[in-house]
Amino acid sequence: MRVVIISLMCWLTATPLAHAQINPQTIQPNTTMADPGANWFMLVAKPAGYIFDATTGEMQGMVSISGMTPAVQPSMERREFYNASSFYSRGVHGDRTDILSIHDFENLSPIGEIEIPAKIASLNFQSYIGLMSEGKHVAVANISPALSMSIVDIEERVFVGEISTPGCGLILPVDNNDFLTICADGSLMLIDLDDNGREQNRIRAKQFFDVHDDPIFDHPVPTSDGWLLFSHGGKAFDVTVENDQIKVSSAWNLVTEDEAQENWWPGGRQLGTLHKDLGLFYIIMHQGDQYTHHEPGSEIWVFSTHSQRKIATIQLENPVTTIMVTQENEPLLIVSESGGATKVYDALTFKHQRTIEGPSAALFLDL
Amino acid sequence: MKTNDIVDKTYYWIDQTAKEQTLKLARGISRRSFLSRLGAMLAGAATLPLLPVARSFAQDSIEEIGDDQTCEYWRYCALGGALCTCCGGTTTSCPPGAETSPITWVGTCRNPVDDRSYLISYNDCCGKSMCQRCRCHNTERDRPVYYTPNASQILWCFGTEARTYHCTVAVVLGEASGGA
Repeated sequence: MRVVIISLMCWLTATPLAHAQINPQTIQPNTTMADPGANWFMLVAKPAGYIFDATTGEMQGMVSISGMTPAVQPSMERREFYNASSFYSRGVHGDRTDILSIHDFENLSPIGEIEIPAKIASLNFQSYIGLMSEGKHVAVANISPALSMSIVDIEERVFVGEISTPGCGLILPVDNNDFLTICADGSLMLIDLDDNGREQNRIRAKQFFDVHDDPIFDHPVPTSDGWLLFSHGGKAFDVTVENDQIKVSSAWNLVTEDEAQENWWPGGRQLGTLHKDLGLFYIIMHQGDQYTHHEPGSEIWVFSTHSQRKIATIQLENPVTTIMVTQENEPLLIVSESGGATKVYDALTFKHQRTIEGPSAALFLDL
Repeated sequence: MKTNDIVDKTYYWIDQTAKEQTLKLARGISRRSFLSRLGAMLAGAATLPLLPVARSFAQDSIEEIGDDQTCEYWRYCALGGALCTCCGGTTTSCPPGAETSPITWVGTCRNPVDDRSYLISYNDCCGKSMCQRCRCHNTERDRPVYYTPNASQILWCFGTEARTYHCTVAVVLGEASGGA
């Protein structure tokens, strides 16, 4: 009994001494964001855009978006992020309000919003939003189910107007404040915006694909001077605009006849990505049948856009749905597996560098 | 008062005109002839193509096999979304409280029982939180989102009060001409 009492006294006297040696901590001011660095990227998974440094795998911050936001568009010049958001006053019913939401780089906080027509397209396609070349206007895709685009002046913070694009969807910005859109009749349409963001002209290209036989994927890839489009059957087209003329190259093959015999098809979600300076095009491939264009891929094929030939094949451990290459001199390839994991590879040696824990990516965005 | 007078007079004129026309018709043709013409008109109307959605609910007699709570069920060959059969609804009706979208995308699926192809209307049910059960992603004849009528990925909650997506039903519209 004596021993117990002595032990208890020792414990009671020792405990306050232990606490006295630690200075109590206080909440510190929030960290602020540095400007996006090398190999930074955004992983879009509703309802947020997660910003990561692919070099370290560390998360840097998050932009909140709505459950119906299709994609996020940065402006490096204005140091702002834009996303089209849609909200119901009672969660899933009630009055609907659609806005173009603006977040700053420094705090990733909402700093402005512009009300737009309540019919934004809500699926995860990067080309459902586009920043025009002059950096003053953002276009947002609508579906009601008629197709149209809402134009917003991000300098003046005003909605400019709506442009009807019957039978044509997706926004592919090109020079001179213009954008292309892909049409179901197998052509492209150029919408020519004036300095105020209003349509001043529209030009239709000749048909170059058949939406029934071999449609162009709804994930166009930007190049240094235009866009790279590719079809379900593996035909690639380079698209540029010169003097208001749409120029579509002749098709080049991503799949040889032998490979087609072996049932190789492109497939996935955000399935193609291009390193603009190096001219390296990466595309997810799988063995399957027609109409398996959303199937995750077992390989990534790498093409030189200069020679228009396949130069490498990356065998994947697990099926992949979404890829994006960073635009650095030593680029990284960010890959989303169908199981949800995000993996980072050296885009030139194809060595796996790290796995980033996080939600399953709907889209990747290079920052 | 003046407006009410005008409305009353208009109604009176409609009544009178209808009465006169009916009497004229009755005087001009026999009762048997009138009935036969009326019958022919009704029979003719029945052969006219009805609206797709209305027509779909008339197709109840098709013989089917399989589990309609799985993505492999034959009607779901081009269905992207959650199956309403797993969410309190059926293949042809939305779950309680959800609003049926009248605008749809259409697929063509082959029924394994009779080996025939049928047009399937995929109507989204809307206005409630998304049902997170029995998610399917079938893409037979699916086309990119810029070709909206055949794009299974698009949320087809159009023409409804709220456009939030809940689940999808698969309604047989009729036999596809020319097969698949």
